[in-house]
Amino acid sequence: MGGMLVKYGVGLLAAMALLVPGNYTLSHPYTLSYPAYYGNRINTTDDNPLTVEGVALGRRLFYEPRLSVSNTISCGSCHQQSRAFTDSLRFSVGFDGTPTRRNAMTLTNLLWVRNFFWDGRAPSLEAQASTPLTDPHEMGQPLERSAVKLKADGGYPGLFAAAFGSDAITGERIVKAIAQFERTLISADAPYDRYLRMEYRFTATEQRGYDLFFGAPGRQIRSAGCGNCHGGPRIVTETYHNNGLDHVPADSGRESVTGMAYDRGRFRVVTLRNIALTAPYMHDGRFADLGQVLDHYSEHILYSPTLSPTLRDTASRPVLLHLTGEEKADLIAFLNTLTDSSFITDPHFADPKINVR
Amino acid sequence: MKLIVFVFSFCLLAQAASSQQIKVTGEVTKPLTLSAADLAAMPRSTAIAKDKQGVAHTFSGVALADIFAQAGVTTGRQLRGENLAKYVLITCADNYQIVFSLAELDSSFTDRVVILADQMEGKPLPQGVGPFRIVVPGEKKPARNCFQVTSIAIKFAKE
Ligand code: HEC
Ligand code: HEC
Repeated sequence: MGGMLVKYGVGLLAAMALLVPGNYTLSHPYTLSYPAYYGNRINTTDDNPLTVEGVALGRRLFYEPRLSVSNTISCGSCHQQSRAFTDSLRFSVGFDGTPTRRNAMTLTNLLWVRNFFWDGRAPSLEAQASTPLTDPHEMGQPLERSAVKLKADGGYPGLFAAAFGSDAITGERIVKAIAQFERTLISADAPYDRYLRMEYRFTATEQRGYDLFFGAPGRQIRSAGCGNCHGGPRIVTETYHNNGLDHVPADSGRESVTGMAYDRGRFRVVTLRNIALTAPYMHDGRFADLGQVLDHYSEHILYSPTLSPTLRDTASRPVLLHLTGEEKADLIAFLNTLTDSSFITDPHFADPKINVR
Repeated sequence: MKLIVFVFSFCLLAQAASSQQIKVTGEVTKPLTLSAADLAAMPRSTAIAKDKQGVAHTFSGVALADIFAQAGVTTGRQLRGENLAKYVLITCADNYQIVFSLAELDSSFTDRVVILADQMEGKPLPQGVGPFRIVVPGEKKPARNCFQVTSIAIKFAKE
């Protein structure tokens, strides 16, 4: 009861702050809820506070094919909810059939991401969204043109007014609404979460997989050191590493952002939450399944000058784990506990035209 | 001949190192962008730390305290009152980040000298580690001895 009151009071204050001068529409603040173990280092901006109306609009826009020049592709084409917002393809295809340069990424727990894309080149979801929208091969339409098309639809001006206080439809507002929706894509109800909340006991094989995953290699206990990079409850540390895929990387990765040679072939460590749903794997989708991923870390890590220090010994040789068949099965059993079936069936994240809720 | 080879390889090294610079920003009176040459010209300090195998190595570089003196950070007698709520955020090329409180690095609080190292046993740092890293002597866990430092930001805890 006390909690309710507090929440109500905060909500009221926030709602007053959202009153846009000169307009009399009030939008309602959207309360993000997530477990305390995820921490509060979230990536939000003061000039785009989340509102119920903004999130609802963003969801509509996420599934709006008219944002593409051909009226056929939406964000949801390459980011499908049933696959934790990926598309099962090695490279996605935009409106003109050209394959994308990299593998489509999961949209799981973006609220905590600070640098978007495989190379971390976009600092915010607002900055990220305009890339697929305007990319000549993905959706291929200038934001101004999208705004004109949406204005022609009788439904949209009212939705923009509810979200932003006036019915003006602009590229900036399109991008802001989509970013608001994306921030709500929180996955925190996997068996692993129930384990963290002490409501679920691992099976023997899941437990062995967990021990391997989070242990550090070279210690007494046999371990795979995955948690050094994919660590913490969100199963990610936001760092850039070269995990030994190539002697000579075809994609320079982080180097294309910083211009530093030591960043060649470094990519952002990504979350492994919902990983069983997001095959194929790596920035270029080279591995078809988790078995191939484990074969890589077990036997095929390749040396290059920028190979992560975590994956090499003091003589700079790649550290190969030589996992047994049973160890690989254990790791996969643990990775499967990261699959959140309520995330991929939550009606709030679905296409509103199909699922009205 | 030997001399020429030496001079040549020195130039190559200098060039490779010079492309990396470290930014010192935040609660400073004078923001800095330090190159390898800038660090070489500053007062030098040494620190000892163990590697993964437990072998001790001697590192040399510049004490963070000396970098703070140049950037105009509140140290020594100024490190009191609200300045004790300042911290140092170190960011590395791989986006790894660690913090120290300002007091932890100050000679009026501690004798431990944390350095920004550019050499190990008198040689440039190895690949994947250099050109610049942090060395915290006597720390039980090596997790703050971070590699490839790109920025040092002095900040106020805002809460
Ligand atoms: C043609 C397929 C395609 C479409 C359409 C598409 N994306 Fe993507 N998305 C990708 C690919 C491929 C990447 C990775 C690109 C890279 O790293 O260079 C990606 C990456 C992202 C990321 C980065 C995630 C992270 O963790 O850094 C976000 C967020 C995202 N897309 C959101 C969107 C939104 C919003 C839309 C619609 C406005 C959209 N995408 C449309 C293929 C697509
Ligand atoms: C040195 C840091 C590091 C360690 C240790 C590490 N990874 Fe990775 N992992 C990465 C990076 C970086 C990527 C993205 C690489 C790319 O796409 O080029 C990645 C990608 C992956 C992917 C694909 C993700 C996707 O969405 O496509 C899986 C699965 C994965 N790692 C599992 C593991 C497992 C299991 C272990 C332990 C055996 C492990 N990783 C250890 C850094 C690491």
